[in-house]
Amino acid sequence: MLRPFKGKVMNIKKRISGVLFVVATLLLSSVSTSALAKKIRIGLAVDQLFESRVAENNAIKVAAEKLGFEVIEVVADGDAQTQNAQIQSLVVQRVDAILVCAVDQNTIERALMRAKRARIPVIAYDRALPDSRTVAAFVGPDSISDGFEAGKYMAEQLKGIEGKVQVLELLGALNDQNGIDRSKGFNKALNALPNVEIISVPTDWDSAKALAATENAFQANPNIKAIFAATDTQIPAIETVLSNLNKAHKVGQDGHIVVTGVNGSNDGYAATVSGFADGIVVMDLTNIGEKSVQLAAALIRGESVGKHNVVPGQFYSHDNIVENKADIWGAN
Amino acid sequence: MKLNNYKFFEQNWSAIAVATLVLCVFLTIASPAFMSFANMQSVLVQASVTAIMAVGMTYIIIGGGIDISIGAILFFISSVFAELFVATGSYPLALGVSLITGVLLGAVNGFLAIKFKVTPLITTLATYTIYRGMAIHLTGAQNIPVPREIGYLGNGSFLGIPVPILLMVLVTILGVYLIQKTRFGLYLRAVGSSEESAHESSLPIMRVTVLAYLIGGLTAALAGLILIARVGGLQSDIGIGLEFTVIAAVILGGTKLSGGSGSILGSVIGAIFLVLIDNGLNMLNASPYVYDTVRGIVLLVAVIVDRLSEVRKSRELIKNSAMKMRGTTS
Repeated sequence: MLRPFKGKVMNIKKRISGVLFVVATLLLSSVSTSALAKKIRIGLAVDQLFESRVAENNAIKVAAEKLGFEVIEVVADGDAQTQNAQIQSLVVQRVDAILVCAVDQNTIERALMRAKRARIPVIAYDRALPDSRTVAAFVGPDSISDGFEAGKYMAEQLKGIEGKVQVLELLGALNDQNGIDRSKGFNKALNALPNVEIISVPTDWDSAKALAATENAFQANPNIKAIFAATDTQIPAIETVLSNLNKAHKVGQDGHIVVTGVNGSNDGYAATVSGFADGIVVMDLTNIGEKSVQLAAALIRGESVGKHNVVPGQFYSHDNIVENKADIWGAN
Repeated sequence: MKLNNYKFFEQNWSAIAVATLVLCVFLTIASPAFMSFANMQSVLVQASVTAIMAVGMTYIIIGGGIDISIGAILFFISSVFAELFVATGSYPLALGVSLITGVLLGAVNGFLAIKFKVTPLITTLATYTIYRGMAIHLTGAQNIPVPREIGYLGNGSFLGIPVPILLMVLVTILGVYLIQKTRFGLYLRAVGSSEESAHESSLPIMRVTVLAYLIGGLTAALAGLILIARVGGLQSDIGIGLEFTVIAAVILGGTKLSGGSGSILGSVIGAIFLVLIDNGLNMLNASPYVYDTVRGIVLLVAVIVDRLSEVRKSRELIKNSAMKMRGTTS
């Protein structure tokens, strides 16, 4: 009576041990696989969030995902001390590389030194850190070229005008390399016209300040013929001022004031489509994002890379911007 | 009548008014375009956002507090307005909800500051981070265009006067009335002078303080709606650093950071004064690299003038008291 029952128990035991063996094998194999192919993690230290930065970060994340990398993103909200602490935390987490868009170079240099000591390669993106001893590479927009392209188009529109031609230049922030370089490029292009007087006003990238500066400039110089905005997000503010002064004439109309800018936001796109603005230089954020990740990958592999990598933007005018909508990161 | 006895110089705002006048005279001589009707109108429109917020901030500082989250409130309200308008297409709904939200955020600041007895600077630093973070979360840090047609608060005019100027004047009149003619104004000054004495006198400290912060929130909301209408949409950097400009306007206007006394009118003149500096630099086509230095120097001079006038007023007071005492003893 007991024999068949004993046999059944033996069978169950065999089955259980078989299942346990399979489970254990699977567990061991998964552990050994994860140990062998450790996922590469990239620390992304962001200065603060605004439209173009979000687009740039998204491009980085997409490029990282394609390579199977994990991205740990930290945002400093414009506070250099916070960014310093965030970079230190990325070092403690032993990320494989750090991509940083710095709030302030001097404040974060110490944290970047820690990264260097921990042999974590650091890549500056969007904002160069020219005096840093820790950054392995920089990738960002070619701001001199971007400013130059916007200025070149403007110069072509103004070249037939005789006598003194006043141009308003809305600068970015005076301590921001991208803003400085855009201004350099723009001024270089406008130098082609000897009769141009450039009135430069700082705006700290702030549209409210750009609005006030444009109002004030037109009060002092009512005959301004053209406006360059270091960022095209300020074009709606310019439109407010010119509308109030009854000077918001579209491209091709009499009395039209030439307006160009750099960036590629929907503000710039919409203004160019409507004909209020003549054109904008669109930054190639997708390319910048991809290059950042490729540089990180190369440095992690121990390869040497170029130190300074810039990506020029593309100018689109009122005539061709709609057909190129797909290439404009902010257009919607 | 001796100039020394003239009432004008006894006002909190007399120093900033003199400084503004001197600056205007200098700019009129230096730039022919400065003293035009169009430019003066432009200056007042530009000052409206800071001035309206400065009225709210004056209440808070008179009551012994400070609110460094008002720039974040402005940004959050602008985000709520833009998102709600895009979602519903209803201007009155977006406007109403935004103003109510401003009131609530201000009241929360006041409640936290008074209820938990945490320094208002720290409390509002925390709420600054929360409000700005909430707004970034709400909008995804994206710019949201606002149709020019609904920008009446920022770009419209009534009887030929730009709406932002009318709103600034209206808020100033209401502000002066509330602080000078109501029991709330009286209690607020008492609370700001000495919270202990106000407590001993059984004044409604909680209600008065919350109301002051609530006014601060409401004025920040109104200023935000004017600003995004003028700028043409919401941008994620709106309001950053604005709290310091507003506090500077209030202090320049003769309100003491220690609380208890202050001037609404002075704060508004302070806001106009700050705009005049940039306007003047633009008018003179100054190099962009001198802006910060000139701003700093002019502000320093204004603060020194204010301090000297305070010292002079104190001396006058001591002299008058001594004369009165001599009169009663003889």
